[in-house]
Amino acid sequence: MRRLSIGLTALTALALGTAAARPAQWLWNLPEGVEPPPAPADNPMNAAKVELGRRLFYDADLSVDGTMSCATCHEQKRAFADGNRTRPGVHGDPGRRNVPGLANVGYLSPLTWADPRLSTLEVQVAVPIFGETPVEMGMKGKEQELLRRLSRDKCYIRMFRNAFPERRGTIDMPAVSKALAAFQRTLLSHASLYDRYRRGEESAFPAAARRGEALFGAHCASCHSGGNFTDQQFHAIEGKGTSSDMGLAEITGLPEDHGRFRTPSLRNVALTGPYLHDGSAASLPEAIARHAFMVPLAGTLTPAQRDDLLAFLDTLTDREFVENPKFAYPETACGKPL
Amino acid sequence: MRRCFVLAAAGLAALALPAPSMAESIMEGHAHGCPAGTAAALPPELASWADRQPLKAAGAAGKADAAALEIGKAVDAALLPTPDVKYAIRPEKPGGSVSFGGLFAFTVAEAGTFRVALGSGAWIDLVKDGVVIDSVAHGHGPECSDVRKMVDFPLAPGRYILQIAANGQAQLPLLVTRLP
Repeated sequence: MRRLSIGLTALTALALGTAAARPAQWLWNLPEGVEPPPAPADNPMNAAKVELGRRLFYDADLSVDGTMSCATCHEQKRAFADGNRTRPGVHGDPGRRNVPGLANVGYLSPLTWADPRLSTLEVQVAVPIFGETPVEMGMKGKEQELLRRLSRDKCYIRMFRNAFPERRGTIDMPAVSKALAAFQRTLLSHASLYDRYRRGEESAFPAAARRGEALFGAHCASCHSGGNFTDQQFHAIEGKGTSSDMGLAEITGLPEDHGRFRTPSLRNVALTGPYLHDGSAASLPEAIARHAFMVPLAGTLTPAQRDDLLAFLDTLTDREFVENPKFAYPETACGKPL
Repeated sequence: MRRCFVLAAAGLAALALPAPSMAESIMEGHAHGCPAGTAAALPPELASWADRQPLKAAGAAGKADAAALEIGKAVDAALLPTPDVKYAIRPEKPGGSVSFGGLFAFTVAEAGTFRVALGSGAWIDLVKDGVVIDSVAHGHGPECSDVRKMVDFPLAPGRYILQIAANGQAQLPLLVTRLP
């Protein structure tokens, strides 16, 4: 009996010790019927990883001169889009393509306008940090400098240990990428007027938006399909070869892919302008009109139809998403003000 | 040689747009690729831009009087490493540990619209009595000038703290000027 008691005590201690070392699981808190975004098997979600990723997302030390963080271009008040046509990098190099919003980005793959190889958030992280076409954050060849900056911060050391106990908190780019990806998977938008309407709150959905939804379903939803309003396919909405940007052809080398770009999500679209791959459409009406090659009605909408369509698109705005303090610049890290 | 992006007229148009809050980052339209030796003709309110005097930034609001800006007089601001700066209000984009920032004070004697002009895309906040002042317009500087960013504020008489954050260099051309 005594031996058993000791054995149980030892087992209990072992279990407690294991539990203490294991990061708290991430609780999704999703509406009924909504599945969480998938995470790669080698990057399971946990709360400490999300917390670390959030801090990294807002940390301008990820850029060469400390002036640009992920959040510099992905502003929460704009549903994590930018508000400019394109955004120059740290050295002033012109941006090439419009900054997309990040609502529900964890459900999307591929992730960017014209590169089907960027299929996970973990892989995509390297593009803004190390990319050269164009230079954004300017850290190409300075990976060790980036890691040095993080490693000299005692709080970051603790946060990496908490997030990656299985790797003993090693601070390296795979860990940085995984943490950033984990945070971005939490950027979920499921509380727009449209979402509530779909969950049965029909009374709050304006009549104009209902008419706009019908138009959208008939003319737009073959590409802007599904819960995030994207088929995740590449299209040349103004006709092939009409864009000075090669688009998908830049990767595939196929002439038929010239000017094809991935259908963007329309979540929070009223907040994410300007529009199209180069930000050349300043407003939603202009962006809609630019679809006339693929959708003839887009060029001949009556003012009433246009207003109805805009009323529908406006219901995709999720104020909870853009005001959620859990997505904002963290006030503290390791119990101290940032 | 880099390409000129946006015409000066576009810059003026941008300035005509209301800015919803604080100081937006103006990242488009900087004058790249102007022919060598081409100097912009600056408007009278920016005339002192060519004759800047050195001024060291303060590291805290309580010391900002030692970094006093004179309205209409451009300075070459010497900024501090960001970790050495204690802002009155945390900037929306405070910059990383390797960036530079600082605080300055200035006094408005008569109400009007005032423009903050910068030689970089640094983040700025204008603070009065602990409250951030909303800007009313923003844009980039005149074509072929090295004025990179301009933000306009309607200001009542009083003392203001100008917070500079997330600058990539320790030096920053800076001017607060009253618009006609």
